[in-house]
Amino acid sequence: MHYHLKETLKRIFNTGWLNFVRNSYVSFGTTGVMTLVLLLFAGLMSLNFLSTKVVEGLQDKVDVSAYFKSSASEEEVASVKIDLEKNQLVKNVLYISKDQALADFKKRHAGDPLIQESLAELDENPLQASLNIKANNPDTYAEIVKFLEANKFRSLIDKINYYENEAVIKRVEGISGGIKTWGLIATLLLALIAILVTFNTIRLTIFNQKQEIEIMRLVGGSNWHVKAPYLVEGAIYGVFAAVIAGALFYPIAYFLSPKISILIPGVSLIGYFGSNFFSFIFLLLLVGVLIGVASSYIAIRKFLKV
Amino acid sequence: MIKIHHTSFIYDDEFEALRDINLEIKHGEFVSLVGPSGSGKSTLLKLLTREVLPTDGEILIDGIDLGELSARDIPHLRRKIGTVYQDFKLLSAKNAFENVAFAMEVCGADKEDVDRDVPKLLNIVGLSDKANNFPHQMSGGERQRLAIARALIHRPRIILADEPTGNLDQVNTYDVVKLLLKINELGTTIILATHNRDVVNAIGRRVISMENGRIVRDQIEQGKYII
Repeated sequence: MHYHLKETLKRIFNTGWLNFVRNSYVSFGTTGVMTLVLLLFAGLMSLNFLSTKVVEGLQDKVDVSAYFKSSASEEEVASVKIDLEKNQLVKNVLYISKDQALADFKKRHAGDPLIQESLAELDENPLQASLNIKANNPDTYAEIVKFLEANKFRSLIDKINYYENEAVIKRVEGISGGIKTWGLIATLLLALIAILVTFNTIRLTIFNQKQEIEIMRLVGGSNWHVKAPYLVEGAIYGVFAAVIAGALFYPIAYFLSPKISILIPGVSLIGYFGSNFFSFIFLLLLVGVLIGVASSYIAIRKFLKV
Repeated sequence: MIKIHHTSFIYDDEFEALRDINLEIKHGEFVSLVGPSGSGKSTLLKLLTREVLPTDGEILIDGIDLGELSARDIPHLRRKIGTVYQDFKLLSAKNAFENVAFAMEVCGADKEDVDRDVPKLLNIVGLSDKANNFPHQMSGGERQRLAIARALIHRPRIILADEPTGNLDQVNTYDVVKLLLKINELGTTIILATHNRDVVNAIGRRVISMENGRIVRDQIEQGKYII
């Protein structure tokens, strides 16, 4: 008798598939619970993505502005700008001239006739030239401020504004961290339930096939032949659950995405999951198969003596 | 060659099923293992297929110590040993051909092997015309012959038959015994556990009698069923 790997694998997969199909009602429930786990997992990933985006947005808004006295020349301001750009903590420096500041101001208050009138009455531009500094790391703003304080043109700087958004960031991180923790606990809990349900389903299959298993053992079926179909069955639950979860998640993300974009401008949920479609589906498959195979493995260990 | 040295087996720390068994069975022998129910015949066979490990002593088959077999080697041992049971252990949802094919497939045989060997095996046991019959469409004797065909898939060196005629009438019993003798003539060692006096006396080969977990008599030749 010859032993062929291809035949062996074919038989193992066929048997696993038959186990899945023949238990259709039980399979349906098992796949359902596992789908729920994967959906929760996907939701957790969405939340992670969104909170990261919110925090990134806030971090981007943190900056240091240095306002120069009217006496400062453009060259002097440019020299400070060059000094800052040499500093490794600084990500970029934006120069806003007096005229630019005025134009921005007018634009911002375009709908306010009182301000427009007051501006018109002034002979000269009351606004100051400024440098808008962004740091590579929001924690280093205090150091950048210190660096500016020590600059040789310090006397030309009227004031240094340092917007402390850190408190807001901490709060957002705190909230999203809390949601993530509870989401993770819920996902793990549900994953545990899914493992129990799958475990029980495989146990049922094993009990239903007591005779076959006994015969396989008697005739010297290898451990692989006896056990692998159940692992395959478990994996199939995972694959189906991943496919169903993906098929449910993408439409949901598609409908929610515009609403989220209103709340958090510039963030597209569907854009993110759309561009990562294959890796995301792969991840769902991986998690699903892992849960299925793990449950199956436990059931085999417990109920299948070879 | 089967060697059993000072082997005992205790069930659940309580019931002593086998007590200090010493036995040697040469290749090609036909051994009838007799004794009342509970005398330890089945336990002895279970030790040989490594379904259980002896509490004490050692068992060697072709020089291999069963106590030292790893889990992955057990299937290889079982491929050397064909087994036949009183309750046939056939799959009711599969026909005769499929029952034998199933056993081959779970051992990794490909379709070519199956298509070549199964008809031969069915022919050996005289079931060529019943290939498509399901077990419930066959007589007890036919079912047992089918089980024997399945036991032969690996061309085993040993066949263990545990009360194979227990559920059969006289005619069918005769058929099954005749088949076992024929297989033995082809060189396979046969160990037949039974309490059918007529069968044992008709075979007239080595007879080992057991009682209360001990071997009480070992008639090497022309053995008779004696209690």
